[in-house]
Amino acid sequence: MRIFGHLMVVLAILLFGAGCEKDKSSEKLKAGFIYVGPVGDYGFSHAHDVGRKFAMEKLPWLETTFIESVAESDSARIIDRLVQEQKMDVVFTASFGYMDDTVKASKKYPNQKFMHCSGFKQTENMGTYFADLYQMYYLNGLMAGALTKTDKIGYVAAFPIPELIRHIDAFALGIKAANPKAKLHVRWIYAWYGPDKAKEAAESLIAEGADTLAFTEDTPAVIEVGQAHTEKGKQIYTFSHYSPMQAYGKDSVVSGQLVDWGGMYVKVLQDIKDGTWKNEDMWWLAEQKAAILGGSFDETINAKFVDELKAYKINTKDFGSISAFDLVEKRYAQMKEGVEVFDPFTGPIADNKGKIRIPAGSKASKGDLLSMMYYVDGVEGDIPK
Amino acid sequence: MLHIKVTDRESISNKRSVMTLIVSLIAGMTAMGLIFLMSGANPFYAIFKIFSGSFGSRYGMMETITKAIPLILIGAGLAIAYRAKFWNIGAEGQLLAGAIAGTWVGLNWGPHLPSYLIVPLMFIFGFAGGAFWGAIPAVLKIRYSVNEVISTLMLNYICAEILMFLIVGPWKGKTKFGYPYTDDLPASAILSTITGTRIHYVTLLLGIITVIILGIVIYKTRFGYEVRVIGENTHAARYAGINFFKATVIIMVISGGVAGMAGIGEVAGLHHYLLYPGSVSSGYGFTAIIVAWLAKLNPFFVILSGLFFAGILVGGDAIQISLGLPAATVQVFNGTLLVFLIMGDYFLKNKITLKWAKG
Repeated sequence: MRIFGHLMVVLAILLFGAGCEKDKSSEKLKAGFIYVGPVGDYGFSHAHDVGRKFAMEKLPWLETTFIESVAESDSARIIDRLVQEQKMDVVFTASFGYMDDTVKASKKYPNQKFMHCSGFKQTENMGTYFADLYQMYYLNGLMAGALTKTDKIGYVAAFPIPELIRHIDAFALGIKAANPKAKLHVRWIYAWYGPDKAKEAAESLIAEGADTLAFTEDTPAVIEVGQAHTEKGKQIYTFSHYSPMQAYGKDSVVSGQLVDWGGMYVKVLQDIKDGTWKNEDMWWLAEQKAAILGGSFDETINAKFVDELKAYKINTKDFGSISAFDLVEKRYAQMKEGVEVFDPFTGPIADNKGKIRIPAGSKASKGDLLSMMYYVDGVEGDIPK
Repeated sequence: MLHIKVTDRESISNKRSVMTLIVSLIAGMTAMGLIFLMSGANPFYAIFKIFSGSFGSRYGMMETITKAIPLILIGAGLAIAYRAKFWNIGAEGQLLAGAIAGTWVGLNWGPHLPSYLIVPLMFIFGFAGGAFWGAIPAVLKIRYSVNEVISTLMLNYICAEILMFLIVGPWKGKTKFGYPYTDDLPASAILSTITGTRIHYVTLLLGIITVIILGIVIYKTRFGYEVRVIGENTHAARYAGINFFKATVIIMVISGGVAGMAGIGEVAGLHHYLLYPGSVSSGYGFTAIIVAWLAKLNPFFVILSGLFFAGILVGGDAIQISLGLPAATVQVFNGTLLVFLIMGDYFLKNKITLKWAKG
């Protein structure tokens, strides 16, 4: 009898324990992530996956699943699988090309939540989120303008879409603020991932006299070109893009733009968990710490170039004559306070044909930024039609 | 010392042929199992997951059929080319050429024509586009002895670059915010799907009809006989008075044309606008090579092997999710199976005898 009693107790504990565990698991939130590229590369999808892992660390109740290298044409199928088969509570679709399929899915599954990255369409149960780096490009531009010796700066660019034009323009505005004589030359490679094309474009820019390079492409190819030339005795200044790439060009990378999706993912998931989620359009910048200056997370500006930047003086309206190094620090601090304090796209801004696009006293709206399809003064050539 | 003697098999029985196929598949899966094991996954569970993810639920089944549509069309076309020993590696480019030609019709004439006119027109132009792209290497081979493996492969890249040029240049959509896509096809040019699925049944039906026609052509017509003779023995074909030039061009017009139909089917049925080459097709032109081989170059069997490989592609998502394996695993799987199928073919056609001899 006594043994029986013990058994009952053990059984009760087991059942209770099992019950508890079931309660816990029903509180779990399941999030699915769809990436356009492989997570192992140095680009966009990699950065998102770093954000996903950060959210996993922060939120103990979170369960995630991701699928990489999903072609735009396959996203509808993958969304269906995540919703129907994997029973996700929320699906993050992290590529512009998934926009229409995400909209369709949000109507097909009205009780499901969706977050689409970088698009402009929302539905009742679908929001959008994006971390934009144009402010960092401006700061990079300040440094590029200060450092260039040939007054010729190159940009290796993926596709002529508003996002890239905005970044090229912000970079050019920074250059102009530091060095009005310098011109920006753009080379289009028509690929998000194309290390061979990027290398070729970088080499051709250097051959034409550019000594400073920025880029939008998912590999450190441009930086490797810069590093190789620098090692041979010809200093080429480069700016890292999206992921920390300074390790690929210790003597060449001055600074760069870094993205942190982690904070955004934590906020979205926490909101869903708390029931306060809305189908808003999240657009995060330096203020929300989604856009970070640097070629690595440890160093904002490569120590090797600090003296050179401190020696270069820039005349500004608000700070008078100030070194490039200090100006970058000051502007970065202003950006972190908010776009009201300082924004690169503050008029008067003319395009490279002389037409005023943003009049004096006004700022580019988000709509202006999202549809920007003109080169500002200081960029050579025309946007390919 | 071990002596290896290779001799041609005089005749191949159906039973031997089926057995070789099964053994090759099992050997391929075993090799793949080792790869799964090396990446830390239970091979049985992984292979089970692939097939349960694709055939084990209604959702999986429907998606498998959707993926099988282009594979069946292209696979049937490749089967006829490979029978004539014309190594067409260019189905990917032929698919894109069809997508380009068909989309042009859809975008330009679609707004003015009803569905029952525009849809057939798009498929006719899609066929023509693919056929044109397929005929180029045929002419190059017969007239200038250019190796078709090289020319068809290289024409893939040329077509992909042409498509790229069109979508970033003259065809870039006004409604796409500068992204390199064309505008959406008008509603009349979009293929309807079976409700609740992504199966664009018009293309599926075309695929099945194509398979039946090509099957009849290969086994029941004089032309099909010529194709087989060309494949078996070119000299004999010449002596028999077969017009080599004409036959080769027709073979490639068919092979390229059906790939082109698959291309416009994908655009009008799934994407609704032209986009990056890698997104228009996800490599169907290459996967279909394995589909044709697994089907033993028999158009009817292409339906089965098309479904089989579509299943592997769809099940590939499932192993990514449940086992955390990288997306490329599925391509490794397909490649491994192809290697073993071709090896099986070698052992089927040749008799290998091993002998121990002294000295």
